[in-house]
Amino acid sequence: MATDSDTIKHADDDLRPLIDRSLRHPVMFFFTSAAAWLAVALILGIVASAKTHAPEFMGNVGWLVYGKAYAAHLNTLVYGWGCQAAFGVIIWLMARLSRKECRNPGTILLAGHVWNFAVLYGVIAILSGGGTGVPWMEFPAAVWPVLLISYVFIMAGSVVQFRCKEGGHTYISQWYLLGAIIWFPWVFTTANILIFNFNGHPVMDAGINAWFKSTLILLFFVPVGVAAAYYLAPKVTGRPVHSYALAQMGFWALAVIGPWTGMQKLAGAPIPQFLPYVGAAATVLFFIPAVTVAVNILKTVAGHASTVAASPTLRFTIAGIFGLLALGVMGVCLNFPAGLRFSQFSIAGYGFEILAIYGCFSMCSFAAMYFIVPRITRREWLSRRFISWHFYLSAYGVATIVICTIGGGLMQGAAQEYWNMPWSDAATRQYAYGWGTTVSWLFILFANVFFLLHLLLMWARLGRRSQHPTLLHQHHSESPHGPEGDIDEIQAANA
Amino acid sequence: MTFRTFSLGLLGTFSLPWLLIVVVPYATMQRIQPVEFNEDDDGRTGPYVPARPGRVTDGAAVYAANGCYTCHTQLIRPTYAGSDMWREDWAGVHVAADNIDTRRETSVFDFNGEAFAQIGLTRTGPDLSNVGHRAESYVKGTETTPEEWFLMHLYNPRGDFEYWSSCPSNGHLFTVRKKTGQGSGDALAVKARKGREVIPTADARALASYLYSLQKDDQVPYSLNYSPDKKRAIEQ
Repeated sequence: MATDSDTIKHADDDLRPLIDRSLRHPVMFFFTSAAAWLAVALILGIVASAKTHAPEFMGNVGWLVYGKAYAAHLNTLVYGWGCQAAFGVIIWLMARLSRKECRNPGTILLAGHVWNFAVLYGVIAILSGGGTGVPWMEFPAAVWPVLLISYVFIMAGSVVQFRCKEGGHTYISQWYLLGAIIWFPWVFTTANILIFNFNGHPVMDAGINAWFKSTLILLFFVPVGVAAAYYLAPKVTGRPVHSYALAQMGFWALAVIGPWTGMQKLAGAPIPQFLPYVGAAATVLFFIPAVTVAVNILKTVAGHASTVAASPTLRFTIAGIFGLLALGVMGVCLNFPAGLRFSQFSIAGYGFEILAIYGCFSMCSFAAMYFIVPRITRREWLSRRFISWHFYLSAYGVATIVICTIGGGLMQGAAQEYWNMPWSDAATRQYAYGWGTTVSWLFILFANVFFLLHLLLMWARLGRRSQHPTLLHQHHSESPHGPEGDIDEIQAANA
Repeated sequence: MTFRTFSLGLLGTFSLPWLLIVVVPYATMQRIQPVEFNEDDDGRTGPYVPARPGRVTDGAAVYAANGCYTCHTQLIRPTYAGSDMWREDWAGVHVAADNIDTRRETSVFDFNGEAFAQIGLTRTGPDLSNVGHRAESYVKGTETTPEEWFLMHLYNPRGDFEYWSSCPSNGHLFTVRKKTGQGSGDALAVKARKGREVIPTADARALASYLYSLQKDDQVPYSLNYSPDKKRAIEQ
């Protein structure tokens, strides 16, 4: 049936530009506003981190007092950058994989603006002293319903596309995307209603908050990153995914294990005893889906080292997959019964969050952005150098942060356990690691300012008008993309 | 895998833990009844209500809004989970000479009156479960009250003995104003520019009062007392 597959292929060739064009404005809106929020989050992160070792740094600025700056840093990182980057990736990937154009770009754009204003309001409220004091949920309690409603409008189209998709086959990425689409509102609504609207026991509220943080990472950010990796790795290398069975196992392992995690933060607190230990056990077991996914993706690109080195997309994907692997290993080290007492109240917890959000999810999102943006703007990335700076500063920066916070956190935790030594010993032990974290955040900020600039230029459609993708190494004398030339002219000539 | 099996799988794998570790424990914890003292064990009767003098509710809101929980915990873990019980003046009061030992783990009743238990994220600073008692011991034999000590400490955490501390100064909770006449009785005993005085705002007072309320020095019912050498009242 060669003719049939040929017809489908031609139909797909026609359909792809239509899908890309229908999603151009919403996706670019999410990517650029996410990148802008990332810059804000990084600046706040630098201020907060500097204050851990230099407490008088900006000491007279009341709205940037450490606790507020730290809360604003994480909330902008999660809701400003993380969620919006995920939205852009989800709506584009879902449309492409379901072979459906976006029918409601206007609604998505409007909902996206509402989301941004809600985040802005929330951040201003935190900095001006109106935070709720619930970690990762510091926005005033009036903000979460607004976020939830705009989320529903952003995602509704993707669910409809999936339900009436063409071709019948469900690709691996779609499982993860659909999972993330469903898990996010479930987790988000449960946690917010139980903590802010119902009159629960204060200690159980703290437990639910810990569950919320962990499940948001493992059931929203990680699946979106993995979905992008499962799409990009085979796409760029031109090879099928290594093992379908492994992919299936990885997905269901995550679905089974993920929802139990988180409450180990309350080990020793007066809540039902099994909760923290179930949470610790599940976080240790997260190693299984992490390794399964990592092996599958790495096997898919195995033997394509030069493609990985040349393609910005693939490089970021592989970095994100190594981030996932590190996340799995850290889940074991930090939550093993012997390790939990050292990590529970040290900066290692922050290191784990940054590893998940920046080291795993963000690297995969950058990969997706380097792939998606040229397709929807029909322009290629301008500068190879910007991309490689972005890559090296991000990868080495986040690796240093993770080493400083997790290594330093365990040192700090050990000092806390020496109960007969003065407290100052435990308190001062993290200062050196704080320095390392601040400097690394500076490098990451530097990387992302270039990224934001690059993205804004692409948004303004000032990218290269070429049909050759921007690669980090050019070692083909003949390009598989045909002769170099202006993409519009070549396509007009072909038509 | 059909859409049907997929959705059922997703529903099943998520709703089971959702019910078992979120919804059911939440409902159970909502219905915790107070523990009663009884004559045989405790030598007194009536419900156990932790003594928390101070502005718990509005002070907790200031504590939350300023992100104190980022660096300070309020949790004394049992010895299997951490060594908090043995740190001096963390878990309670221990005076061996007078046979006083109120050291204990955090109980469900310690957060009465608060909307959210500030278990805390890290211990960059010390645990605050018993900080009210520590402040009392710092000001023993001086004219300063514990609340005043807290206000001074909030204004300048590196003022007295903790020069190494990385705690932020909360200058935004105080107003510096021109001194008139003999000056205000509320002014802090800190150095200010000539002719100026430092006055705590209402938020600072609420926070100081809240911190002073964090004490573990009262009697708990026998069933909540985890001390290894505890004795029933009738045995004493």
